[in-house]
Amino acid sequence: MLSSGKPPTLASLARVLRSKNAGPTLLTIDIFFQDAAGYALAAASPALSVPAVAALYQADPAQVQRHLLPALLAIKYALPRRLCAGTPGDGDVYGAQQHAPMLDVELDVVLDVALDGAP
Amino acid sequence: MSASERLLKSHRVQDGPLRILAASGQLGYGIPEAALQRGLARRPHLIGCDMGSIDPGPYYLGSGQMAAPAAMVYRDLELVLTAALAQGIPLIIGSAGTAGARPQLDATVAMLRAIAQAKNLRFRLTTVASDVAPEQVVQALYAGQLQPIGPMAKPTEADILQCSHIVGQCGTETLARALREPTDVLIAGRACDTAVFAVLPEMLGYPVGLCQHMAKIIECTSLCCSPSARDAMLAELDMDGFTLESMNPQAHATPASVAAHALYEQADPFEVDEPTGTLLLQQAQYQALDAHRTRVSGAQWRPRAQATLKIEGAARVGERCVLLAGVADPTLLAELNPALQAVEARVRQLVPGDWALHPHIYGQGAVRPLPPAQHSRHEAGLVLEFIAPSADLARTAAGVFKQNLLHHGFPGRLCSAGNLAFAFTPSELEAGTAYRFVLYHVMQAAPLADIFKIDTCTVAGSPSEVTP
Repeated sequence: MLSSGKPPTLASLARVLRSKNAGPTLLTIDIFFQDAAGYALAAASPALSVPAVAALYQADPAQVQRHLLPALLAIKYALPRRLCAGTPGDGDVYGAQQHAPMLDVELDVVLDVALDGAP
Repeated sequence: MSASERLLKSHRVQDGPLRILAASGQLGYGIPEAALQRGLARRPHLIGCDMGSIDPGPYYLGSGQMAAPAAMVYRDLELVLTAALAQGIPLIIGSAGTAGARPQLDATVAMLRAIAQAKNLRFRLTTVASDVAPEQVVQALYAGQLQPIGPMAKPTEADILQCSHIVGQCGTETLARALREPTDVLIAGRACDTAVFAVLPEMLGYPVGLCQHMAKIIECTSLCCSPSARDAMLAELDMDGFTLESMNPQAHATPASVAAHALYEQADPFEVDEPTGTLLLQQAQYQALDAHRTRVSGAQWRPRAQATLKIEGAARVGERCVLLAGVADPTLLAELNPALQAVEARVRQLVPGDWALHPHIYGQGAVRPLPPAQHSRHEAGLVLEFIAPSADLARTAAGVFKQNLLHHGFPGRLCSAGNLAFAFTPSELEAGTAYRFVLYHVMQAAPLADIFKIDTCTVAGSPSEVTP
């Protein structure tokens, strides 16, 4: 997996990757991984950090929550919806298709040495 | 004696597990009958059904209409009503008619009466109305007692008064008050999904944390299983935990599937706020009993001194007309947004008035933002929403927009006979009234006993008359 040179996508490691409203003002995204290795890679990856996910969804990082759930091999996010569900102009009343931007996220492998000297 | 009195008087926690049958997580979309019958064969102590949600959006709360088809609601109600009465066990239904507002509660009760009439049934009915007076919400606004849940704009007094319906989610505290009445069937307007399944177990003395955790999992019936399903779900509750078992033999409650369900539609995986306290799941344990059943224990409960009230309110925005069309011309697809803007400017000259246009361009980022380089050049679907104070104005704007877009002369145009592909005509469809949520707030220090109105009566059908 790591030797191929191409970083794995989140979709290739997930068993479940879903989004749904948590009430009409919030969106929640749940990722369940196929195995512990995939979970560990994802949990450590900067591509799934709060600032990175906030940027992906054009949300304020201060309003994005992330929960690491190692016992479930899961990562959960909660973030504000752009529009309250069903307000004219909203494109996804249930929030059930907002997982899509996560599918292609590439999990850059973090090696301790690679971070040394980073600004 | 009513079913609720019988259960509350006869069952002691030391008598053995309490069997709670969750018959439906969305009553009105077709309760799978085989699994329901298997559940009934297990002699449950009570049947619970959730009938609503805020998920389908502001239309249902705003309009007071049910989301589920009426014929299917009738079918499902008949199934659970006859089952509960045949077994002499309480039936509890929450969030009547989708949003749980007064017209939806009344429509649900009217169906129960019609079923009683058709089948000659007799039962004690208790209802909880969940409507909150707008004046009470305005008072809370000025007293600083309205807190938004998530990013919700602070409403003005006018916003609140414009809401066509405002409901509060009743919790176990209110349903327990209702169940002081002799009850065979309890129907609540807007209710916490969990309260429907937790109230009788709590009244019987089972630990609140276990009752609430059990309720949180089974309120969606077999959605917590692998594979997930819509079939009835049985919980067997004792003082130390509960066992979950789907009544669909193919849907297995596994520790992974059940634990995963605790995250569903929930912002925080460990702390779940309910009206009377907070469910704490840090210590929750999930253990497989066999390939089909999972045992759950360990949930804790932090009670609140005073029950809180979550309120929901929806207000009319205007009348909606929707124009549906396809575009396949690659030159137009590359310049679709400027084309729509140019046409809108022209139509505004032709059709004055306070109409709004909300374009959804499928294939070019309607569901999620898409960089222009990835916009579809093969085809795109246009869903153009027009909202205006009157249906006539919305329809006029949509119709004039359609014709102007059809013949819009964009740069490089080859398709001078027309720009749009219609799947059918008329391609502009009146879509009724548009609503928006104004309230999704916690109202502090709310007088719950004043707000939630409890009524009770005997419903009795009579044998159908034989007309000569």
